Amino acid sequence: MSVFDGLRFRKVHSPIHNLDPRIKFVYVIAIFVAAIIFYQIIPLLILFLIQIPFVLLARVQRQWLRSLRGAAFLATFIFVVNVATTFFTSGYHFTAPNIENAAAMTMRFVVLVESFSVFFLTTSPDHLGLALEESRVPYEFAFAFTTAVRFVPVLAEEAQTIMDAQKARGLELEKGGILKRIRNYVPVLIPLIVSAIRRSLELAEAMESRAWGATKKRTNLYALKLHKGDYALVAIIVGILIATVYIRLYVPIPTIASFF
Amino acid sequence: MAIIETKNLTYTYPGATKPSIVDVSIKVEKGEFVLITGPSGCGKTTLCRTFNGLVPHFYQGELKGEITVAGIDTLKHHTYEMAKHVGLVFQNPENQLFALSIEKDVAFGLENVGVPREEMRRKVDWALNQTGIYDIRERSPHEISGGQQQRVAIASVLAMEPEVIVLDEPTSFLDPLSAEKIFEVIYKLNKEQGITVILVEHRLDLTAKYSNHLIVMDHGAVRLEGDPRKILASEETRLIGVGIPKATLLYQMLKKEGLNLGDQTPLSSEELADQLLEALKPRD
Repeated sequence: MSVFDGLRFRKVHSPIHNLDPRIKFVYVIAIFVAAIIFYQIIPLLILFLIQIPFVLLARVQRQWLRSLRGAAFLATFIFVVNVATTFFTSGYHFTAPNIENAAAMTMRFVVLVESFSVFFLTTSPDHLGLALEESRVPYEFAFAFTTAVRFVPVLAEEAQTIMDAQKARGLELEKGGILKRIRNYVPVLIPLIVSAIRRSLELAEAMESRAWGATKKRTNLYALKLHKGDYALVAIIVGILIATVYIRLYVPIPTIASFF
Repeated sequence: MAIIETKNLTYTYPGATKPSIVDVSIKVEKGEFVLITGPSGCGKTTLCRTFNGLVPHFYQGELKGEITVAGIDTLKHHTYEMAKHVGLVFQNPENQLFALSIEKDVAFGLENVGVPREEMRRKVDWALNQTGIYDIRERSPHEISGGQQQRVAIASVLAMEPEVIVLDEPTSFLDPLSAEKIFEVIYKLNKEQGITVILVEHRLDLTAKYSNHLIVMDHGAVRLEGDPRKILASEETRLIGVGIPKATLLYQMLKKEGLNLGDQTPLSSEELADQLLEALKPRD
């Protein structure tokens, strides 16, 4: 069950949660672009730091830290590989600029993870579906997306019930080598899939009974509207982009090593 | 004019050798509270699905006979056209809610037919209030109880303002108290909004008192149809395996022993209690 906990979304109201998901997505792209443009540690650190107010405003710091912790392994890997390659290519010794460079590459990755996690932690699937719809993605896809999110906890619960039932009949899930363990899950998966198919038929029936496909011009209960906060975010995005381009072109960026 | 009328309706599921409903001819008047009951596998569910055209449009198979619902021939019209006239509530509340918030689910049908937003808002709020779930409208379907989920399902068909609401064993996943609340909601809609209700149910103890038209099915055919008080008092009903209300059974046992409590067969404990009090009152 715990695996699926992260996918469950509770409706939270915060200045960040209430932002238009489309603008937030543009923000992710802007951070992405800025992180790609810079390869020095100091601007990347700044990019990392300026996102922290968003996290605090949205009050998602705990989940955010968890997602960073999840990325720690990959970040370490990136750092080690970078240090190692420069170590071997620069004649077998560590130099401060090399290590700083490796740290910058790692920081770039962390900044990307950070901005994506801010986006996904503060955008409800409902909002995301709505954004998909309003971006002229065919309604069927948006619907499939929100429905999938809706049924994740239901299927997780069902998987648990089936596992309990099979264990009660003597199935040992945690026994044997890795291949044996995978095979142990077959008696769980088959009933789960069969019941998911049955469920989907019932779902189709219910959709049909509620006028699915009655008209091409579907309306929507909710509408995405731009508020003050969204315009503020647009301003921030434009600011970041202008600053990025300006600094990259005209400002010499110092390295940390040069301070010593 | 009858709101639902079937003539010699016979339907066979694709690949089945035996028809699931056989020669069903029923007539339901506008504003009635119809109760359909009968042993499992007697064709109640199939009959329900003919009312909005799921049978035969969704299931294929072969449907013979005539059926008109709200003046429309369901054989010639698609289910999505029927959705404005007939609301169908299914047994499992979980599998008929697909949105991430309750109000969005209630709006689903209206969105599909393209109702403008302000009008939709009004209808959704009305349906939420009618079913008593306005306060939880922003929650997700997974967070609420089965009884609340089933009320959401009712609200979501109610928002379409149908003439008929068909409920296929809506309480079989619920505890008795939640079930009773559901029945009260349905009864209120029937009384106050004049919506024709067709309820498939085994729990006659809780529902018989609301109905004014009872249909007993067995082996795909309609065996008995008419006034619930007469039908539930008959020996035949008991033999088919209908769960006759305890109050009705007790009344008959007492009657057999020579204690007549009045002419009217009681359908609920309250009615029986009244009759007993009347009979036991000291006379002078």
